[in-house]
Amino acid sequence: MPRDITTAVLANTDLGDGTRLLEFGAPEMSESMRPAQFFMIGIPGSATLLRRPYSVCGLPGTFEGRPPGALQVLYKVIGRGTELLASLAPGAPITVLGPLGNGFSLPGDTKTIPVFVAGGIGSAPFPAMTAHLSGRFPKPRMFYGARAAGDLALADWFAEHTELETATEDGSTGVRGLVTAPLGRMLERSPNDKLKLYVCGPEPMLEAVGKLAVERNIPCELSLEAHMACGFGVCLGCVVPVRRTGDEVGYDRVCLEGPVMDATCLAW
Amino acid sequence: MPGVVKPDLSVRLGPLALKNPVLTASGTFGYGLEFEPYLKLDELAGFVTKGLSPRPREGNPPPRIVETPAGMLNTIGLQNIGVDAFIRDKLPRLRERDTQVIANVFGETENEYVEVCSKLDATEGVAAIELNVSCPNTDEGGMIFGNDATALGTVTAACRKSTALPLIVKLSPNVTDVRVTARAAVDAGADILSLVNTFVGMQMDIERRRPVLKKVSGGLSGPAIRPLAVWMTWQVHQAVKVPLIGMGGISTAEDALEFILAGASAVQIGTANFVHPDGSIRVLRGLEQWLADRRIATIGELIGTGHPKAPA
Repeated sequence: MPRDITTAVLANTDLGDGTRLLEFGAPEMSESMRPAQFFMIGIPGSATLLRRPYSVCGLPGTFEGRPPGALQVLYKVIGRGTELLASLAPGAPITVLGPLGNGFSLPGDTKTIPVFVAGGIGSAPFPAMTAHLSGRFPKPRMFYGARAAGDLALADWFAEHTELETATEDGSTGVRGLVTAPLGRMLERSPNDKLKLYVCGPEPMLEAVGKLAVERNIPCELSLEAHMACGFGVCLGCVVPVRRTGDEVGYDRVCLEGPVMDATCLAW
Repeated sequence: MPGVVKPDLSVRLGPLALKNPVLTASGTFGYGLEFEPYLKLDELAGFVTKGLSPRPREGNPPPRIVETPAGMLNTIGLQNIGVDAFIRDKLPRLRERDTQVIANVFGETENEYVEVCSKLDATEGVAAIELNVSCPNTDEGGMIFGNDATALGTVTAACRKSTALPLIVKLSPNVTDVRVTARAAVDAGADILSLVNTFVGMQMDIERRRPVLKKVSGGLSGPAIRPLAVWMTWQVHQAVKVPLIGMGGISTAEDALEFILAGASAVQIGTANFVHPDGSIRVLRGLEQWLADRRIATIGELIGTGHPKAPA
């Protein structure tokens, strides 16, 4: 059950090029939280009105040497809310509502290879997911893309914990171009592998990978992002179009029915 | 402290008796049950449901919301489960709660308003009906009725005939003179007026050079609108005799008291429910404390007292 707590920032680390890792203590949440679930985080007395949604990046045990009961959130400074978050020093109070939404589900069986596809800051849920699957499922294959090398903030961590392939639009590291190209080549050369795709990133990437998975009949979960006022199902601001029965299209909430949705459900 | 008595927060709004003046606003509180992980519904005087239409509505395409200075714009488009599903799936559980369920009613036509009112009238567990004649985000109905005194009178009178439940009319602020629509609603049989709904506004995405919201305009809510809403409450208090429910950017007891002094007998908490799910309870606790600190015995004695007395 979600809790609404006030807690303190433990660390707020600059990972370069505007990407940061926020750490805070939330033992009330750390036990029940699952990868790709999220929080609404607010700053008491801040100039912004609404809290902002952030996916859980690190659960207890994800990153080595972190304090017990600490959780981590990966974010990129892109607007007023994240600018204010970046200004917080250790000890600063934040309000945290969570855990919210539905996280990733497990691969179908222990032979299924998890395949992670992340675009830029969309890499946020994958450290927690990697740790969650570790030892029980084959090592994940990870496809990690961004505009430039500096946006691949967690590349070193993923290189250590996954079979990593990177792609950058400017070619500064890895394959030049979009991450869908190396992903497509992997799918071509492994027709007999049992795979499950887990995807998080910008909407065009979600759509491209989701369609690829549906065409090839590969199970695929997408972790979606949307502007939301509340995070717990009542503002109805964060909806995405989904298929209902037949050709009918309706709207589901990213916060409650998501943020993880099956690629077959979405009406792109 | 010896001698300090818990203040009496109960208020009476014509046919509607409330144990305290704190309600929550339609569209910010779902169907109530969504809030049970965060608060006890029994503590609230009551809540107003998401607008109920005759049939389910999927609402408007996204993007539907954007934060603005001290507020937010929304264009949800009355996404709701429909009155039948509300009565079948939500009301049985709500009847077990010690709180007043106020059903917000929306229609695209006068007949649709009457249809929903009649269905709610025939069931048990609804304490009052609030007519949503002020939604700025639908192509049909809503504000089309609320912005025209004649149309508002007609739809209010039709609903009045269809139900014996206390009838609240929720006023639109998007009018030249809110006193004109307030009088029209009262003349047509409204027991109570609630005000205000959201103000129509828009925001541009300057990089895309397009409106942020898919439907271009949305309803502005939050602290940004509070002075506008207090002023309208003040004006309407002077124009009509029926009890008022004030709302618009209330997130603290002090905010609520502004409306009460301006003439509201109760308040609705809206956008603040999004910021903290127990935002309404925070206002309630604050009111209790504020009165106790000043040794004011009943909240009722404050209603409308911000108005100077007419000279004898």
